[in-house]
Formats: sequence, C-alpha cells, structure tokens
Amino acid sequence: MKNLIIATSLLALGTLGAVSPALVHEADCPYCKLKLVQNTNDKDNEVVVRFGNKKIEYRCIYCVFADQKKLTGDLIVYAPSEAAGKPVLVRRTGGNWTAPEGTVFLNAFRRHQECAGLSRTFSSKSAFDRYVAANNVANAKALTLKEMLAEVAKAN
Amino acid sequence: MTNLLSWVVLGAALLPGAALAQSGHDHRGHAQSRELPAPPPVFPTWMDDRGADHMFYKPGPYNWSIRNVPQFAADMYGTGVGHGIAYEALVTGQADKLEGPIYDSIVKVLKNPPRLPIDEGAILPTFKRRYGELEKVFDWAHTLHFQTIDVLAHRGWTDAQKEAEIERIWQFYSAQPYAITGLPLNMEVLDGYSYSGAFRTKYPKVNGLFWGYHWLQTANYDMLYRTPVETHGPQYQVVGERYRETELFNTEREFMPMTGELSPRFAKRFPEIANSFDNLHMLHDNVNDILATNELTEVQKKQQIRIAIWRVLATTHQGETAGEGEANSLHDHRYPFGMPGMGWMKGATESEMYMSGMGWMNMEECGHCSIRLPSGDEWGATVSANGWTMMVRCMLCARDMASETIGKAIIRAATEDPKQTLVLISDELGNWTSNLPEIVFLEVKADHPECNDWSKVFTSRRAFDAYIAENPDYKDAQPIALSEWQTRNEGTPETYRRINRPSPYQRNGEVGP
Repeated sequence: MKNLIIATSLLALGTLGAVSPALVHEADCPYCKLKLVQNTNDKDNEVVVRFGNKKIEYRCIYCVFADQKKLTGDLIVYAPSEAAGKPVLVRRTGGNWTAPEGTVFLNAFRRHQECAGLSRTFSSKSAFDRYVAANNVANAKALTLKEMLAEVAKAN
Repeated sequence: MTNLLSWVVLGAALLPGAALAQSGHDHRGHAQSRELPAPPPVFPTWMDDRGADHMFYKPGPYNWSIRNVPQFAADMYGTGVGHGIAYEALVTGQADKLEGPIYDSIVKVLKNPPRLPIDEGAILPTFKRRYGELEKVFDWAHTLHFQTIDVLAHRGWTDAQKEAEIERIWQFYSAQPYAITGLPLNMEVLDGYSYSGAFRTKYPKVNGLFWGYHWLQTANYDMLYRTPVETHGPQYQVVGERYRETELFNTEREFMPMTGELSPRFAKRFPEIANSFDNLHMLHDNVNDILATNELTEVQKKQQIRIAIWRVLATTHQGETAGEGEANSLHDHRYPFGMPGMGWMKGATESEMYMSGMGWMNMEECGHCSIRLPSGDEWGATVSANGWTMMVRCMLCARDMASETIGKAIIRAATEDPKQTLVLISDELGNWTSNLPEIVFLEVKADHPECNDWSKVFTSRRAFDAYIAENPDYKDAQPIALSEWQTRNEGTPETYRRINRPSPYQRNGEVGP
C-alpha cells in the first residue's frame, strides 16, 4: 500500500490545479444545484435567506421562491439589488411575502445557468430599466412581488 | 480515469516491493468494459447445495435491541419486505408492473411497516427457489446488519464492551462460507459490466427505494455508534423522517449509498464490516441489473448471478490484503486515504472521491474548513443533515455547516470525556437540544488550523475551567451557553477549499423553471 500511495501521490500534483481556496463561499444552490455566483466589487449575486439560526444561500431570487416550501417560519431574504452592498430585504412573515415599496423583479432566464443574471431584484423601476438596457435583456418585464410569485408558482 | 489508473499501476510497478497481487483468475472488470463476466473455474460447492443451510443469530443478551427504537426496527423490517416484493415480481413475469402497482404496494408497506421481522421466504418464494444460493448470502449478511445494530442499541454495556462484541460478531459471520468479503472492492469495476445500470434505468422509482433502504442500512451506524442509547430515539426522529420522506423517493442519486459516506466514524472503526455492507449492496445492484437486462437469457441470468455472488465472497479474496491488489480489477483492494472502510470509487484519486449529493470530498479533511481531521479521543464531530454525514474538526465547523443547510440536523461530538459523546439535535430553525444538560462551549476565533483547540465543547463549567487553566492562551475566554452558541455563525472559513471537478457520473442536476 505504501508504494502504491507514493505512486499515486505523484499524481496528486497533477490535480492541484483543480482545487481552489475559497475566498468566498463556493457552494451549490440548494434549489437549482448550480454553483453560487460570487459577489463582485460592483455587483452582488448571492441571495441570502435567514430564518431562525439558519443562513442559506441561493443563486437567484427565483430559486428562493421556488424552494420556499422547504424553509420553515419567517424569512428574511437579502436579495441583491442594482447596488452592491445594498440588498433589497424581502420578507415572509406568517406566510405572507412583502417587499419595500417600489421593488420590482426581473425574471427573464430560460435556463438556470442564466438565473443569477436574469432573475434579480431592484429597488425601483428606473434601476430595473438601467440594468435591462445595460445587459441587453430581451423581453424584460418589471414584475411586482405578487407577479413574480405567481410566475414562480406557475412554473412549478 | 483509465490514464490515472495506468499511472497508478506503472508507478507501483516501478517501485521496489510494489505489492500487486495477481489474481488466480483473469477477472478484470475494467470500467466501461462491456464484456459479460466469465465464471470462475469452480464455484464453491455450497452454491450447489439444495439444502436450506439455515443459520441464525450468534446468541447474546443484545439480540432484538433494535426494538428499543420501535420505528427504526419497523423501518428496517420494512426494507426486507420491500426488497422481497420487487425480487418476486422480477422473477414471476410482473416486471412490467414494477414501476406502477407493485411500486405502490411496496410504498404502502413502507408507510405501514411490520412490527416484527418477516421471513423473506413468505414474500419471495419463487425467487428463493430459483436463487437459493443468493438468498443464503443475503440472509447471512442481513444477520450481520441486525446483530451489529442490536449490539449498538443494547442498554447496559459500555462502548468498549460493544466494540469487542462487534469484533466477535464479525468473526462469527466471517467463519461461514456465505460471508461477503470485508476487503474494499473497486466499485467502478463492480458497476462496469455490460448489464450494469439496467435496473436503475428501467425502474428508477423502485431503484430509488432500493437505494433508500441501503441509505437507512448505512446511515444508522453513526447514529448508534458510541452515542448514548437514550439519544437513539430522538436521533431516529430525524433520521427516520429523512428516510421516509426523502431518501426512499430520491431518484437523483448517482450511485448507491456507501457506509463510509453515511457513517464515517463506524466505517473507520470497523472497516471490514463497512466494506462487507457496501459489497452486499453492490451485489444487490448487480442482481437487480442482471434481472432487469434484456440482453441475457434466463440461463445466462442464473449464471451471472452466481458469478456476482462469487465475486464478493470472502473465499474468493482469501489471502488478499486491504490496500493492495491489481488496480482496476476484481482484486483491487485500494481504499481512499482516511477511509479504510470504503472501496475505490469512480473517478477517485487516493485522497478525493465524489459522493452523490455531496460532491467531491477529501475524507481526511474537515468538511467545513478543509483542514486535516484530528484523531484519537479528540476526534472532532460529525454533522448529519440533508441526507449526508460529514466529519468536521470543531464545534464551530459543525454548527456553521449545519446552519448553512436546510432542515433538521444532528451533531455528534467529542467532549473532554471520551466516555461522553455529545449529541445535539436541531429543528428546522437551527435551535439545538443537547443530551448533556450542562454543556458549555469555548469559542475564541483564530486560525482554522488550530480550530479544534479554540472551539470546543465541555460537559460542564468545571471541565471548561480545567481546560482554561491548562491553556492560558484562553484565560480571557468566557464559557458560552448553548442558547448563545447556536445563534452564532462565522461564515465560510478562509481555509475552505472547493474541489472543482465535474461529477464522474456526468448527470446534469439542473432543474427547470
């Protein structure tokens, strides 16, 4: 075994490139199972849900709404907005969802590989419009919270 | 993978004293080789014995102690019924009903499991007549399952007494010709025959049930091993709920559950038993695939099942040694670093392997901070949540890993007293309850390579004070009560590393909007 180990240890050198220190939380989304997209200096991407002593991270706001039945009790969703470091706080209290006045949602992805960029939350319609224009999002519609929840429910 | 193993073989061959056991038979089952396995020159004579050759439990005061946790016992008895109904259907011309009415009838039994063990002969008489030699192997291995559980669930014995008896039960089991080998076997090889995968492809729902049974039969050991018997019931409320509500109906799992994956502490302590369970479960998969494939005649199926039995028998591997063997063959007994109770997995390197639902992992490292796991009495902790069990270095790693996972969780942890294992159980909100009422925590966050020094749990304030007295670096630390400790979260350690490699099973887990 020892010799075999030595031989195989040489191989490990070749696999080091596949391992990366996690400067940020590199996990998979509990819903779509794809990797979380990390925050950057000028754009937040990770959607954080807090309830009780739990802190769960999702890839997009769609994934949170689609997975909400698994989450117990009252929720606070820290949804990335148009401004880094200034998430929109979406809450579920007693089963009812609320968001700050003026909040709108983008939900324009076709495949989950795109969900982090195309399922997002904005503090205002004007912020939504700027994001859609800057990213050339086709067929974008600014959804209210109620409309967003209805779209997610319809798709599941 | 082929290239990797070529390097392994080349490397081993070039080194003096390289131990490459030569098989008596050329029974290589190279991954992706689609050849039908050939029989050995001679099958063991007992395989042609028409007698029942029935054997029973090793006598002991612990027998039937599984019933100390009634729901667990019932669920385990239900797995036998579930196996039996499916097998009987496969050999009585009812395969076309397996995913429909027969699946429904199995689920009905699993939701209302028997309160007493059921003789499988009553459920699968045709199968037993046709494959009597297989039933002998299954029965004997299931006896090993139940007796090891009974010992661990027994009230009144110390952990040392239980471990000694489990060693004796392994010897009792191994002394019989039907015993399955305790050597690690190459799982990729055993799952790489021309018929492999037929069952899970044709009958995904029933295959999900089979892998669900095997999940329960492997996940339970860390629930029981060196944990106080009074925690077994509360732990099983979490484990059983997961089994009945999720694992039985999981059709996304890429490979069968492994003992070292779901009960890593037990598998490290009793690697031969863990390997025998995995080899047993792989025999189930082989038999299922043989029965499900369209490419074999009935005569060929009978022959292939005999070959599958022979492959995993202890007698077939007599004189061979764990850690050695010809790479990528039936006699490949390598195991990953840190886990002697697990055979070589598809795509594995010596230190990294892919586990369904968990991704790539290194079984020598903490699942949360990626620093090498401690050993001995201060072994750290395990976290069971979301269907997996991971080993971690310290209480902070355990708590934060659980708090970042949806659902209930169980932490089993070393304390300063090797005879007292802490069992923490959380609800869906991450509120923990403890089996030890006076526990206090130390948490003075510093670098993770020393996290098992600065994040610890103690059975009492007195034990905490004694540790502080011996470790003046923490002289300013205050004991933290469970109620405060559970609200903390330090996020992802800077030492955490993710292994960025795709699944070797190449399944796309994406869900659609």
